[in-house]
Amino acid sequence: MSRELGAFRLEVVGALVRVSLLSAMQYRASFFAEFMVGALSAFGVAVPLLLVYARVPVIEGWNFDGALLVTGFFLLYNAFVAGLVEPNLGAVVDGVRTGELDYLLVRPVDAQLLISLRKVAPAAVWELVAGVAVVVVALARLGVPDWGTMALAAGLFVAGLAATYGLWLLVICTSFWFVRVDNLRFLLTAITDAGRWPVSVYGRGLRLLLTTLIPVALVSSFPAMALLGTLEEGHVATALGAAAGMLVLSRWVLRRALRNYASASS
Amino acid sequence: MIEVSGLTKTYRVPVRPPGLAGAFRSLFSREVKEVHAVSGLDFRIEAGERVGFLGPNGAGKTTTLKMLSGLLYPTAGTLKVGGFVPQERHPSFLQQITLVMGQKQQLLWDLPASESFELNRAMYGVERSEFRRTLDELVAMLRAEALLERPVRNLSLGERMKCELIAALVHRPSVLFLDEPTIGLDVEMQVQVRQFIADHNRASGATVLLTSHYMQDIAALTPRLLIIDEGKLRYDGALEALSRQVAPERRVVIRSVVPELLALGFEVQGGGMVATVPAGETNGLIQRTLALAPLVELGVEMPPLEEVIGRVFREGRPGGKR
Repeated sequence: MSRELGAFRLEVVGALVRVSLLSAMQYRASFFAEFMVGALSAFGVAVPLLLVYARVPVIEGWNFDGALLVTGFFLLYNAFVAGLVEPNLGAVVDGVRTGELDYLLVRPVDAQLLISLRKVAPAAVWELVAGVAVVVVALARLGVPDWGTMALAAGLFVAGLAATYGLWLLVICTSFWFVRVDNLRFLLTAITDAGRWPVSVYGRGLRLLLTTLIPVALVSSFPAMALLGTLEEGHVATALGAAAGMLVLSRWVLRRALRNYASASS
Repeated sequence: MIEVSGLTKTYRVPVRPPGLAGAFRSLFSREVKEVHAVSGLDFRIEAGERVGFLGPNGAGKTTTLKMLSGLLYPTAGTLKVGGFVPQERHPSFLQQITLVMGQKQQLLWDLPASESFELNRAMYGVERSEFRRTLDELVAMLRAEALLERPVRNLSLGERMKCELIAALVHRPSVLFLDEPTIGLDVEMQVQVRQFIADHNRASGATVLLTSHYMQDIAALTPRLLIIDEGKLRYDGALEALSRQVAPERRVVIRSVVPELLALGFEVQGGGMVATVPAGETNGLIQRTLALAPLVELGVEMPPLEEVIGRVFREGRPGGKR
């Protein structure tokens, strides 16, 4: 363990984030175009919600404001995925195919840290802003809860992020065996989109799926429920369990995957 | 410094029948073939040695280098580099080595090379003052002062290789794995890179294992030679010993054409003449030549390295130790 900690240095994180920001800002046109796309995508998450609640006031016990909270957290999750997870883990797939991973794996730095923090997509800041705005608006309409409740919601949100990051890493690891897994990525994006709606609108089976194997409900519905005071017994344990399980499992699989790394011939 | 015994790497690669129908079938059932990239390599390299790793395409050179640097897991056999088992990828091991691949790049494409150096500094935990000193040294040796602040994508291939070498050496590694570091470079740049590697080795005392397609790299840089073919070691020893063993003849070369010399076995080649004789008969031939044509300009050459190596590949083991 001490070896792993030795390989994880704050200085390295800083240096990685620095160059990824510098790289993202190298091309002006693409930088601003991505900003536009980010803004549109944030808008795209909010519109369907407005359309649905214009017709139906309450769905499965969720009124508009509650659903707005879920949307806000989902936007924040999207910012995390679009800003960090997708650019980095997506690059791993190419890295395996082209052998570009070679230079990452010879560094005396933890491999998981390197492949997870190499790139940043600054355009995701729109979704971050939109997410914060939506959560704030929803809370303003619902009444601001006490600090403890907010801390619980934040904790659940972070646990949800950890669990979904683990899931992404697991999916990406399959590329070490199957090389091209781009479509699996798109499939995952499509499925996790289910997180934009409160989890109780889905049937039992789906609900179980979205809180365990594809834990996207943890990141959107659970924090919202914490703020609304509708969390049920076992929800916190589920969230923590899923986060820990996904992190440990994905790290273990990554290690197996690296053993299987075949590089690409030069 | 490097100990390798019985090192074997077998890849499992899918075999795809040709054509659309075949491709479709292989979507569901894939046939897998085993490719023995490296089989049963044994060798030892002492600290500070410079060793050339030579072999035709697909011989297993790069695979071996990647196993030595911890990128690939060996299928069988044991290897140790600086006391570490490479594939465990221990940070202290990775801190000691460096890998340069002529066909790949580690520099960040869109940023000036100096940013890549700084990133490597952080990753290897090199102290700033020491980093500054090392960088100044390397930049001076490669005459790369003007290259550091230009985006890497705007550098020529040769300029990029200089920066690749700097990036690979800022942490002062004690083992250098160089996989075709001069590939694609023009002759002048090849000479510069070669000179740099030699100077750096002299100054740092680091161990160098180098693969190359250019025989001049090997001739100029590595006194010891490992020849590998079809994943097996064919020769391990000094370059000169190999020439004596495999190609025990010399070429006597004359820069002009003197028809009388045809009788001594000379053949016209280009604007001059060449005769190939066993090494022991060289002096006799020279005397006879000078008797017939006292004014000719005359030289004795070893057979070209390409030819020597080619013979090793054609004839299998030349009898060097395995």
